[in-house]
Amino acid sequence: MLSKAQGLRILQKGLLTGADYAEVFIEDKISQNIVIENGKVETSSINRTFGAGVRLLKGYQSVYGYTNEVNEKSITKLIESLSKSFNEKPCVFLDNLTKKTAKSLSKSEIPFDKVSDEEVIKYLKSGEKIMRDFDKRIVRTNASLSHQHSNIQIINSKGMMIMDEKERGRCALSCVAADNGKIETAFEGPGASAGFEFFLNKVNIKEVAHRVASNAIMMLEAKECPSGKMPVIIGNGFGGTLFHEACGHPLEASAVSKGLSVFANKIGQQIASPVVSAIDDGTIPNGWGSNNIDDEGNPTQKTLLIENGILKNYLIDDFNGRRMGLKGNGACRRQSYRFEPTSRMSNTFICNGKSTPEEIVKATKFGLYAKSLAGGSVNPVTGEFNFGCSVAYIVRDGKICEPVRGASIIGTGQDILMKIDMVANDLERAQGMCGAASGYCPVDVGQPTIRVSEMTVGGNGGEIK
Amino acid sequence: MKLNEQKFFELAKENKFESADLYIKRNYSLSTSIFHGEVDSMTEHDSLLVTARGIINGKFGSVTTEAVDKNTPNFLISSIKRTAGVIENDDPSIIFKGSEKYHKKSVFNKAVLSGNIQEKVGILLEIEQKLKAFDKRIDEVVSVGYEESMSDEKLSNSYGLKLASKVADYSYFAEVTAKEGDEVRTGFKIFASIDPNEFNIDKFVEDCANDALGKLGSVQCKSKKYPVVFTPECASILLRHLLESIDAEEVQKHTSLFEGKLNQQIVSKKLTVIEDPLQKNLFFRYFDDEGVATNKKAIIKNGVLETYLYTLQTAKIAGVEPTGNGYRNGSKASADSAFLTVKPGRKSKNELFSEIKEGILINDLQGLHSGMNSHSGNFSLPCAGFMIRDGKIAEPVALITVADNLVNMFSNIKGLSKETEMVIRTTTQCPYIYISKMAISGK
Repeated sequence: MLSKAQGLRILQKGLLTGADYAEVFIEDKISQNIVIENGKVETSSINRTFGAGVRLLKGYQSVYGYTNEVNEKSITKLIESLSKSFNEKPCVFLDNLTKKTAKSLSKSEIPFDKVSDEEVIKYLKSGEKIMRDFDKRIVRTNASLSHQHSNIQIINSKGMMIMDEKERGRCALSCVAADNGKIETAFEGPGASAGFEFFLNKVNIKEVAHRVASNAIMMLEAKECPSGKMPVIIGNGFGGTLFHEACGHPLEASAVSKGLSVFANKIGQQIASPVVSAIDDGTIPNGWGSNNIDDEGNPTQKTLLIENGILKNYLIDDFNGRRMGLKGNGACRRQSYRFEPTSRMSNTFICNGKSTPEEIVKATKFGLYAKSLAGGSVNPVTGEFNFGCSVAYIVRDGKICEPVRGASIIGTGQDILMKIDMVANDLERAQGMCGAASGYCPVDVGQPTIRVSEMTVGGNGGEIK
Repeated sequence: MKLNEQKFFELAKENKFESADLYIKRNYSLSTSIFHGEVDSMTEHDSLLVTARGIINGKFGSVTTEAVDKNTPNFLISSIKRTAGVIENDDPSIIFKGSEKYHKKSVFNKAVLSGNIQEKVGILLEIEQKLKAFDKRIDEVVSVGYEESMSDEKLSNSYGLKLASKVADYSYFAEVTAKEGDEVRTGFKIFASIDPNEFNIDKFVEDCANDALGKLGSVQCKSKKYPVVFTPECASILLRHLLESIDAEEVQKHTSLFEGKLNQQIVSKKLTVIEDPLQKNLFFRYFDDEGVATNKKAIIKNGVLETYLYTLQTAKIAGVEPTGNGYRNGSKASADSAFLTVKPGRKSKNELFSEIKEGILINDLQGLHSGMNSHSGNFSLPCAGFMIRDGKIAEPVALITVADNLVNMFSNIKGLSKETEMVIRTTTQCPYIYISKMAISGK
């Protein structure tokens, strides 16, 4: 990490040719991963990520560079090279930095550096064995835990020198079931911005393992999903992938600021049905997608995105905010110092509604119940999105009937948001990794059970009967 | 700062490592993009990644670091000891003494690293202007970018093996939107090469603009089974997923679609796939990540599975020679293939279309990370393309899905075109592939 005097000298060099903002982001992260496969420790690895990212801005222009050589000489060389992109008189003068430490939103009661590898292995094996013993058709099991501890320093020409420290851990359980040439897989991956106590106290690994194994076996026995247009009930928790793809990404300033989003210039307009309200909240204590500060050094926020169907706000970083005439709202993120930061989601979810999940099923004559989703993607310009279903059932005459496999769902965000006609009261969040321009970031998706009145469902099971 | 490699190997010996290796990769790149006639981003980097492994009591330990200082050799040794100490699996751990012969060629062309970003910005501005002028329906040039990069890798181990490889490449990309009425469609193009003279601006502009323009007027087709032709890009994406099952580890762990199928017909006789890592192109690779020499070989020949792909470990378990297909992922290597060529057919793509009364040409596949199950081979993927009517390309289609099983699909190949394309994304030279019938879901 740099001293105040070093930081100041570097930024002053960066501002000499007319940049209106200069920033140095230093990251030192240690991560560890242990993988159990079929009852035995298969791999264990330690990784150290270490480097500095340097950014200069002038108007709508940004230049970015990074290096592993974290010392004044190398970073000065880099910032001088980047500053050659500008050729004007200095417009920002910096003579002092204020040193701060970010306030911690998440506490680790049992930090991972106080936990032995043996304890982690014992914990993982207790779940792995449940999957292996569940059914003889389960041919491969995998349980892993990865955790990371980061120290961050952000120094910028707003006069800020801020230190941040964070810890995250995620466990992943998966298995492969095979029978007669058919092969199915299942997965769950709970995680948090917390220490090992989260896994000991909040994750019942045996229950998770049981669910993963039974889902794989159920999908092995499931029929192929029929295809066509139908009402779709989307389960709580990981079902929030729908909102993440269909609406979350197009609300990011990276797309909105250039007018490249279907939701650009729509603040105050009805973009979803009145039963939909949604929030992005980077401040949830111990949340997987939470951060003390964003990667521009601003405090993270709770942002109301949609209220009763009306668009209220976007997810904004300071740089893209310039084109929009708005300040950042703590939504600037990056995977590591190797990535130039931009606007991203944190913990994003649809709020509770007034129905119950039972009422939604009961009100559906025929449709698909997508209990859990396998991830998806979106084109923010057109709003076209897709996602796959990892666990799904057919709903007939108000009852959940046979499971179906191989279902995928497609549509456009602007259309689907208006077609959400029921929202239940069983909000849950689930953990995932979101990939976009600034790399992979941990995020929570979430929602209560919802119903979309009509969606296009793809599958190999022929037409609906 | 440079890593003290000698110190690392000395410490490994002192700590009674049976063997150890170091893999050091340096990456350099310079990139820029423009928006509305102005540079909106420029990125420069020079970075290092060190991966160290060691075998203690027959078990692999592994560590990676981006920080190099005088304490790094000690950090590497203590991390390897800690990680090796918990390994329980009994599979053989091997650090390689070396192959008899390596087909080393130089593909590094210094001229690719222009260092002159202003000249490249000029080219990007020209691309942006030409895209805007291409057709009045081109509504927005979302981004135009350029990148040049160099990767320099070195592998050394305690047996004295030393291998090195260096490659420089450059790429251009562009994204546009086309608009007609309320309908907006996006088009994208990427070009990459190791030869500075290979880039053709006009062809690049035409491909990018037409990608978006062609999609205007897209409709959903009726849900039913259609004959389907895949473009080289889409065909090679699906082929890559099929080939995940020829990783020997998947076979040994009973999760491969092709267990017990070696030397048997697994797909249509029309399909022949050759791995050719020694072609002098962007993907040239004369040794794999474990130090094994690579070779040109048939993977599928006339529909028959010719070989599985082995790492040192899976080859030892199977009692065969390693195939030079090891790719690193921490301490453990997994098998994958390098540059592939799919043998073309005799008919042109238009001749293939002319055989179809009503079918679909698919030129865009999405949702691969959620809708593809490579273990079972089942997939259901959002896609887009064009209807084929009475043998000719007709209206564009979008918001549809295609579903099938990979083995089933590649067993139903009706033809391959004589034209092939180099697909950067899948590192494959591939023709158009015509499948007799597949399930399409639309309206």
